[in-house]
Amino acid sequence: MSAANFLQLLLSGLTMGALYALTAKGLFVAHLATTRMNFGQGDFLMIAAYISTALLLAKVPVVVVVGVVLLCLAVLGWGLERIALRPLDRLKARAGEYSWVLTTMGVALILQNTATLVWGKSAQYSPPLFSASRQDVVRVLGVGVFVEELIVIVVGFLVVGLFYLFLFKTTAGRAVRVIAFNPDAATLLGIDVKRTISLVFVVAALLAGISGVLAGPIVTVQPHMGLVFTVKALAVAALGGFANPLGVLAGAIIFGIAESFANYFNSSFGDLYPLLIVLGLLIVRPTGLFGEARADVR
Amino acid sequence: MIRLSKVTSGFGHLTILRDIDLVLDVGEMVLVLGANGAGKTTLLRTISGLAQVRSGSITFDGQDITGAQPHRLARSGLVHVPQGRQIVPHLTVEENLLIGAQHVPGITARLMTERLEAEYARFPVLKERRHVPGGSLSGGEQQMLAVSRGLMMGPRVLMLDEPSLGLAPQAIHRILVAVEALARQGMSVLMVEQKTSALRFAQRALVLRNGEIVFSGQAKGLSADDELMRHYGGAG
Repeated sequence: MSAANFLQLLLSGLTMGALYALTAKGLFVAHLATTRMNFGQGDFLMIAAYISTALLLAKVPVVVVVGVVLLCLAVLGWGLERIALRPLDRLKARAGEYSWVLTTMGVALILQNTATLVWGKSAQYSPPLFSASRQDVVRVLGVGVFVEELIVIVVGFLVVGLFYLFLFKTTAGRAVRVIAFNPDAATLLGIDVKRTISLVFVVAALLAGISGVLAGPIVTVQPHMGLVFTVKALAVAALGGFANPLGVLAGAIIFGIAESFANYFNSSFGDLYPLLIVLGLLIVRPTGLFGEARADVR
Repeated sequence: MIRLSKVTSGFGHLTILRDIDLVLDVGEMVLVLGANGAGKTTLLRTISGLAQVRSGSITFDGQDITGAQPHRLARSGLVHVPQGRQIVPHLTVEENLLIGAQHVPGITARLMTERLEAEYARFPVLKERRHVPGGSLSGGEQQMLAVSRGLMMGPRVLMLDEPSLGLAPQAIHRILVAVEALARQGMSVLMVEQKTSALRFAQRALVLRNGEIVFSGQAKGLSADDELMRHYGGAG
């Protein structure tokens, strides 16, 4: 493998890593606050990618596209919590402990079928977001690199940074962490737990929205693209340790790069190897790379 | 400030408190005693809205708060410092102090700084350790932090659930002295304890047994004497 090849694979890995990080963050923040998560997180990404592709093809400016996608996904995230999750609290013991898996997957199936109905079964590519064509390259260290990929990396990790600011530096973010610790204690501190949990699912959906827009030009957009993202994001979150925000980021980078190199050496089974790595690591460190031996945060 | 009339409450299918009548006046400190499982914690959870009221009514400052949402009550000055202190371990001491006050409507940055300074003056150890995670404090320090965190919200009524649990006598004493001083300035205090050592700080005392009030009277003159112990039930 040449040095140029190596750098290109590394950057492709980082690109996918950034997308996985965003998706896994959505799982992580929901799990942190509620010990539940959206099994349709990848399908939220799919919907975002479709809306973004359709608008970009209609020559709508990128800024407007991002705005519309985020608005749609915010409504979707809020609705998911209201329709698929909150009613389970009212049922208490009559709803099974893991019924949220079924309800969120159910929403995912509805989204997949809606996308098939509206946009058809065939795969498509979104037009590029930031460059004239998908093949635009810049030279980095003498190697040609796709502009779109570079921008996905920059924007992706920037959004991850913003997410940290939200979680650690804002009143709402701290409220999320207090709820993660103990919802009753949070209530007694004047925190509106229900509203904060709504907000958490909106934030998770917004993360899916951003990754959907970014993923459009990078991967093929088709109605069933979501499951792959959900599965990989779950693997990434497990790899990083569900309770540790930095672990999720590290897990995503490791996973993305492993995947990129695995695909280079074996394109038919490339997706298999990173998952095997995750399995292997979980056998050695069941709480994830950065997980604590006991449950963190709560 | 607080008045309970014929309150029966519990959670889920369990009814724990029966026909509770209780009055807490402005600036009064009332101690609720009782053995494990007598319903002391449920009494506080009922007032702060975390338990379900089956019948009867609760008023706070003349307003009916039966069935009100707990976070709204906390914001309006009915502050409950729960059992086990519930310090958020990954937030720093200062973040813990601010986390409640930040949700009080209409609070200004200036008022928060003033209150923060007041709490640091009350318990200087919190100022020394303001940047360390709350989880690394000792039990006594955590209880001070829990009381201070409640006070940051500007309570008119402060409810404390077993503040002495697991603490050294010295630490208990410091906290009780601080709370007594606040009561003298007009804050109402409802404190739940298993031990009788807090009796000399309170004006009145109640004894709960199996979810009912079996004794109510002046705290003065009472001590761990036979009469009170008899009400405690069981082995006493």
